[in-house]
Amino acid sequence: MSREELAEQQAALLRALLAGGEVPPGFDAERLRVEADALLAKRRRVVAMLRPDLPEALGARYRELFDTYGRAHPRHVGTGMRADANAFADWLRERGEISAPPKRSALARLLRRRD
Amino acid sequence: MEDLGVGIGWRSEIDLSVERMAGVDFVEVVAENLHTDHLPESLRVLRERGVPVLPHAVSLSLGGAEPLDTQRVEHLAAVARLVDAPLVSDHVCFVRAGGLDSGHLMPLPRTREALDVLVANVKTAQSIVDTPFALENIAALLEWPDAELTEARFLSELVERTDCLLLIDVANLYANARNLGTDPAAMLDELPLERLAYVHVAGGVEVNGVYHDTHAHAVPQEVLDVLGELCARRRPPGVLLERDDLYPTDAELAGELASIRDVLAAHA
Repeated sequence: MSREELAEQQAALLRALLAGGEVPPGFDAERLRVEADALLAKRRRVVAMLRPDLPEALGARYRELFDTYGRAHPRHVGTGMRADANAFADWLRERGEISAPPKRSALARLLRRRD
Repeated sequence: MEDLGVGIGWRSEIDLSVERMAGVDFVEVVAENLHTDHLPESLRVLRERGVPVLPHAVSLSLGGAEPLDTQRVEHLAAVARLVDAPLVSDHVCFVRAGGLDSGHLMPLPRTREALDVLVANVKTAQSIVDTPFALENIAALLEWPDAELTEARFLSELVERTDCLLLIDVANLYANARNLGTDPAAMLDELPLERLAYVHVAGGVEVNGVYHDTHAHAVPQEVLDVLGELCARRRPPGVLLERDDLYPTDAELAGELASIRDVLAAHA
């Protein structure tokens, strides 16, 4: 096997886990489902941490809406978690799930400036 | 490997707790969370006190078959210089492929080809970072088909061919035992523990029959038992508690460090 073939196998696994791709040959479909759910849950937690205004605004619907967004928009190389969280907010706004851009408190702005 | 003692993962959310806690001999920082031009005040205080700070990377994707992103390695090298680190680390895994970012540590196929790729990437990383490199075993929820090597053999050959050190995560050994049916004791028998840099300990939780290594729950006794199995074979130069979320009280964190010390004392 070549390095290119291994790269393609790794890409196929990530497509299956993140982008609705087919289960690659030899893998256990149930384990892939568990892993896919775990990866989505981790991403959902990180987005909630970076944009606490979103779970706050959506309440119990946060999880379902994030999972719909996340499955349709796998995170690409070069997109950081903060950009991902903001893209989710844009997606929510386009669908009318949240209204105006969320207000940031003066303290939050101050803290962000120190990053 | 010098003796590190007992440590805890430094996180900005618990920076004061870590600073004040008694008996923190060393800390680890997630390299990707630090800027290379300045240290958070709390880490500066710890460094001034002489507490070793070990950068731990999570995004190098050293097992990835695509070309290594050397900018990420350069960042790790810069962080290592900033904290005057005795050691840096990342995982035996891949993170990105085909333009997608998993945001997590994905298992590698345990084949000769995958090992060759990992070895080549680790050697490249070692040529960029002037600090000894340790590589960590991960927790996996799935396995690749057609493995040619056991995980212990895979790690042993990695160590032999790159001269890297091992960072053994006993919580990951426990998670894999639970989810994949592997045998931690058999794996510890096969690993070159003389190349052990230090050990990770963390908590997790079972959901729907799957054990998740969350770093957000208490350390189960079973994980401490695996630590005991390791200590019975060789005294680890260091043991570090990882806690990344749902932070408990300082007293609870101190209690977990004390439990780790108890295991070490029982095998002294």
